[in-house]
Amino acid sequence: MKNVLLALSTSGTDDAVIAYAVGRAKKDGAGLVALYILDLDLANSVFDNFTDIGFIGDKPSSELSEAIMKEYRQRGYEELGRVQVKAMEEAVPFEPLMEQGNYVEKTLAIIVDRKVSTAVLVKHKQRSLYKYFTISHADEVKKAANCEVVIFVEKG
Amino acid sequence: MSVEIDTRPIWVLLLLKALRPFFFIALALGFYWLITLEPPRGLSDAGLKAIAVFAVCLVLWVTNALPLAITSLLAMVLVPLFGILPVKQTYALFGNEAVFFILGAFILAGAVMHSGLSTRIALAIMDRFGASPKRLLLSVYLLAATFSFVMSEHAVAAMLFPIVLEVSKSLGLKPGKSNYGKLLFLALAWGCIIGGVGTFLGGGRVPLAVGILKEISGVQIGFIEYSIAVFPLVAIMLVIGYFMLTRFFPMDVVDVQGVHAVLGRRLKGLGKMSGAEWATGAVLGLTILAWIALGRHGLSVVALSSVVVLFVLRLVKWRDIEEYVNWGIILMYGGAIVLGAALDYSGAAKWMVDALIGGWAGSPLAVFAGLSLLSIMLTEAMSNSAVIAVLVPVSISLSGTLGMSPSVLTYSIMVSAGLAFMFPMSTPGNAIVVSSNYVTVRDMAIPGAVMVFISWIVFNLVAYLYWPIIGLGR
Repeated sequence: MKNVLLALSTSGTDDAVIAYAVGRAKKDGAGLVALYILDLDLANSVFDNFTDIGFIGDKPSSELSEAIMKEYRQRGYEELGRVQVKAMEEAVPFEPLMEQGNYVEKTLAIIVDRKVSTAVLVKHKQRSLYKYFTISHADEVKKAANCEVVIFVEKG
Repeated sequence: MSVEIDTRPIWVLLLLKALRPFFFIALALGFYWLITLEPPRGLSDAGLKAIAVFAVCLVLWVTNALPLAITSLLAMVLVPLFGILPVKQTYALFGNEAVFFILGAFILAGAVMHSGLSTRIALAIMDRFGASPKRLLLSVYLLAATFSFVMSEHAVAAMLFPIVLEVSKSLGLKPGKSNYGKLLFLALAWGCIIGGVGTFLGGGRVPLAVGILKEISGVQIGFIEYSIAVFPLVAIMLVIGYFMLTRFFPMDVVDVQGVHAVLGRRLKGLGKMSGAEWATGAVLGLTILAWIALGRHGLSVVALSSVVVLFVLRLVKWRDIEEYVNWGIILMYGGAIVLGAALDYSGAAKWMVDALIGGWAGSPLAVFAGLSLLSIMLTEAMSNSAVIAVLVPVSISLSGTLGMSPSVLTYSIMVSAGLAFMFPMSTPGNAIVVSSNYVTVRDMAIPGAVMVFISWIVFNLVAYLYWPIIGLGR
């Protein structure tokens, strides 16, 4: 069975993006795989920042990075729940995934593993100047993926 | 078992692998090139080597290629190794009073956090005063600032962050979208930054600068003397900060009643205030009173005595302190003082001032404004302790050249080095706020830039108009 992949944003995904992914899965007769990635690098960098630069002890620093991961995990469940409700309304087969690791690597691995035909990704709006120097994770996935990739631009 | 394939181009992978060794090789070659140069006129061989060590540390502190404390450790290795200072003198500087004051203050703060007293006070105040969105915001802002008067601002950010996160969730604020979410987290960061400037206890920055000043010039700045000098700046910036926050991000919630259930539940979970909390609070209070009463003398003696009292009263165990105190702080500050002294004793600081700054440094006012601007700009991109280590030794030499009070120029750097409003990399408090996703880098950078500019102006006005009244700089 074909699958449409929706890679959710950690700062909340617009209803319009979810609606598009669900609608696209329904139109293609595909299943919907919703992916939420917990970025371990971020929690680690918070820990390093507080210990190396703030000279804060291990306990408060690790409590802080755990608080961040807990928050992200909760947000992930909420986001996956939102997609599930929409998928159930449209009677689209749905699989929720929460993975830890690097966004690009994980998304590409899921595309291969779940035989994804279309990946729906979200990226932040970038200023023109930044576009010359950086590439978004979503664009990196698009460059390397062996399927159709649709990217929505998040404002703010 | 799944195999993860790195899909990045091979040249990127090779470059990334080669970059770190290449960086250190280039740094070592640069260092070697510097120390083998013929010393310019007026600079001794030891002075040239001190400048080379200074340059290496500066690059490492700016790039964070090594942890800050390890860079300081490197300074303690290179200074005696290249004969800039004798081994005995180098390690004697490591026992500077400022290092032990910072250590004592961090252990005290660790004990307060371990007792749960700080969390209880934060929850109780938010619950008691946070009846409306405006008052809840003010509670977070002023709590962060007030705690930062008595504890490291980074520790305060770490302590308050989970509470503010819970508050935001209980209000259903959307990360990155809710103005009130941005307000709460920025109030936390800005409160810590402004409060952290208020006393010696807001971080290691001020004691470090005071320690370098005493080591090089023999001039001492007292605990209360410092706070009196910066009080107007802190008070004015707290008012301006609140005004700026609410102008940049107009409040988009009208009711915060949901917060009280969460705060009440957490307060109930803490139970009744324990004897250990009362006693820890009393030790902290008495310690601060002793610092105020003793003025310029015995700061480290008071700090370490209080640590002993904590253990005599069995308020903490050594294991608890180990969890809350990062011993790298001793290396960082010890090494920074060694580097400062090496620059001064070798004549390198004076030579740098004469060669690089002396020509344009005409008016004392311009020098004060220039140094405070340089300090505030550097601190946006690098650790504030590193800014102190880099600028204070040079500024003390500059004060000698210009006939200015060395303490005034030290103030210009140590106060400005705390005003890091702009970026996540500026200070750990900013980094944690951005990692919440409620605040984006852009949300922080634009109001932060305005705050940096205003705080620089206010600081210079305070120095120009208020310091002569209290007799500072005469």
